[in-house]
Amino acid sequence: MDLSYTEEQNLLRDSVKKFVDDHYDISQRNKISASDEGFSREHWQQFADLGWLALPFDEDDGGIGGTPVDTMIMLEEFGKGLVLEPYLPTVIMFGGAINAAGNPQQKAELIPAIIDGSLIATFAYAEQQAHHDLNNVVTTADRDGDNFLINGEKSLVLNAQSAGKILVSARTRGDSQDPHGISLFIVDAAADGLTRTDYPTVDGLRASEIKFTNVRVSDDQRLGPLDEGHGIIEKIANRAILALAAEAIGGMQTLYEDTVNYTKQRKQFDHPLSEFQVLKHRMTEMFMEHALAQSLCMKASMLETQGSSETQRTIHALKYLVGKASRFVGQNAVQLHGGMGMTEELRVAHYFKRLMVIDSQFGNTDHHLERFVA
Amino acid sequence: MDIEFSQEDLAFQVKVQDFIKQNLPKGMEMWTKRAEWFQAMRDQGGWDIAKWPVEFGGPGFTPTQRYIFDMEMARNSTPPQIPFGVGMLAPILMNHGTKAQQDRFLPSIRDGSVNWCQGYSEPGAGSDLANLQTRAELSADGTYYTVNGQKTWTTLAHIAHWMFCLTRTQSTGVKQEGITFLLIPMNDPGVEIKPIITLGGSHSVNDVFLTDVKVPVDNRIGEEGKGWTYAKGLLIHERTGLAGIQNSVLGLAKARKNALSVKVGAGTLMDVPAFRNKVGALEAELLALEFTELRSLASVASGGNPGPESSIMKLKGTEIQQRVSELNLEAAGIYAAAWGAAAGPGFARGATSAYLGARATTIFGGASEVQKDVIAKNVLGLG
Repeated sequence: MDLSYTEEQNLLRDSVKKFVDDHYDISQRNKISASDEGFSREHWQQFADLGWLALPFDEDDGGIGGTPVDTMIMLEEFGKGLVLEPYLPTVIMFGGAINAAGNPQQKAELIPAIIDGSLIATFAYAEQQAHHDLNNVVTTADRDGDNFLINGEKSLVLNAQSAGKILVSARTRGDSQDPHGISLFIVDAAADGLTRTDYPTVDGLRASEIKFTNVRVSDDQRLGPLDEGHGIIEKIANRAILALAAEAIGGMQTLYEDTVNYTKQRKQFDHPLSEFQVLKHRMTEMFMEHALAQSLCMKASMLETQGSSETQRTIHALKYLVGKASRFVGQNAVQLHGGMGMTEELRVAHYFKRLMVIDSQFGNTDHHLERFVA
Repeated sequence: MDIEFSQEDLAFQVKVQDFIKQNLPKGMEMWTKRAEWFQAMRDQGGWDIAKWPVEFGGPGFTPTQRYIFDMEMARNSTPPQIPFGVGMLAPILMNHGTKAQQDRFLPSIRDGSVNWCQGYSEPGAGSDLANLQTRAELSADGTYYTVNGQKTWTTLAHIAHWMFCLTRTQSTGVKQEGITFLLIPMNDPGVEIKPIITLGGSHSVNDVFLTDVKVPVDNRIGEEGKGWTYAKGLLIHERTGLAGIQNSVLGLAKARKNALSVKVGAGTLMDVPAFRNKVGALEAELLALEFTELRSLASVASGGNPGPESSIMKLKGTEIQQRVSELNLEAAGIYAAAWGAAAGPGFARGATSAYLGARATTIFGGASEVQKDVIAKNVLGLG
């Protein structure tokens, strides 16, 4: 057994860390977040130049052939700076789906465009009646000759306003919860019949509600086998959970470190807050929660890399534990910063909100605990 | 022991309920008909100032009547009063102000024509309030103070006409001594207000900078150097009001309703055991907290002091407020991220900001950690 990073992995971590240190102090982040697209195209091009957008793709497709462990290393560093660029929707979700299920033609068309930074893309899967269930899909894709017509509504589609392509899940057969009967389609973001309502999310990212009204797609735009898209969705969800977990772990680290530093400086009752035992213990617990979540994130990423049969269960445990740890660390970071923790001025509040949102995506703490014990 | 209210108290409860039924503004009128509501309360014989003593126009409720009154008002979501004047400054004026000060300030506090804010916290004086540094120097002729310093977390300073303010008039000796209670007009050119945007994105608190503000000695409450004693009584008052039990009862009922509207599989979120158990646990704890409040009340009603159990009200009450807000956040699911946007169920729009805002409840009015220190010392006799 060897749990140390390879030389390449250390280099990757250092280069991402350097980028975050140079470009992501909180005032820079706030500025980028408030910009038109909510992220920086300049940064995105830099990601392309550094090869980060090629990381998880197969070498045969022009990628670097990185593993989920490599992605974890990168996302953990992103999490320390609350990076806003659409790596999750474009590379992990959309790119991951093409990588897993695309035919040679689709891969040849789309993967190079992701890698060179010219294509931002996203995945529209969430629907209101589904709550956190991935098999619950009521958006329909009905046959119309050689084509399909998509009708329905999708929620919280990340960075859709910037996307050129949107991967859409739709029901081609069965009732609303049948895992069989869901198909995936690669839809042009400018397609007729597709309307978006864009909005900034509470954590400073961008998302959209999307309505599909007779959006026509050809059979060539179908990704993977007809009716059997659910397995692909689960695969993408697992990769997204691993990425979000790594990001949350980076965020938690910033939070407990900031809290430790703040309590050393802040004096009340003639002593630094850090001298009060109850606060010392609290910060120790924050550190413990972070360390445990980090361990499970490493384990899950390694199992996913190996394709182990234990992976799914471990990912359920991971999302549960990260949600629980994030809430504890986030809430106590705010609490121990006192009134200052309630302000938009300090970065603590921004990390707190990001961790809150991460728990709400791809199934929250309760959702995954229930599946873990099942 | 008798768990039931007396016949008189039950009759009073019906009277309050009938009054609310007849007078409570509906829907948007909550905002436009506030004045009419408070006038109707006033016409009842001082219901608008339910906590004021009879000699200042209060209704003379017994402790039990006041409990019933507060509970019915909260249960029916009646328009809230801004607490700073009516609830916080008024008792200090009554106990420590001169007749002239009472005549000058109480009428406009009561009719709501003058807004007050509370100038207590400072950047270096939060939980350790007695550490405040805002200086007030008495002029050579003894007619006015010159005030310099900074207050922070000043709620609604931006709409306030006046601030009641703790200032330091002496910096030697015990910290708690040498604090003086002054009333400062916010339109003084030396008063500068800077908004603080909190993590829900909203503006209700402010930094207030005081630069060479001249305050006539007539605006001092009580004696110089005794302000801490006056404020301490007020702080205790503030803390007992912060438990928000009836709001939590309402909030929890709403959370249950919201969860029933969220589809999960073939059922609703209330069919998910983990969620349902959290709702149940909170309901049980709220029952216990409600009755804890009644125990204190019963003790006061029979002429005693509130028992030691009353000290837990703020601690437990705020913790419950936060957990109720978590339930609504979880019920909002993915729409927690969308907050202001028109996405997902209607309740999701308020759920996120309520959750974020609720984080402050265990910080203000004495952080929970400090509350526990106080209980450990005063109730358990530890150190």
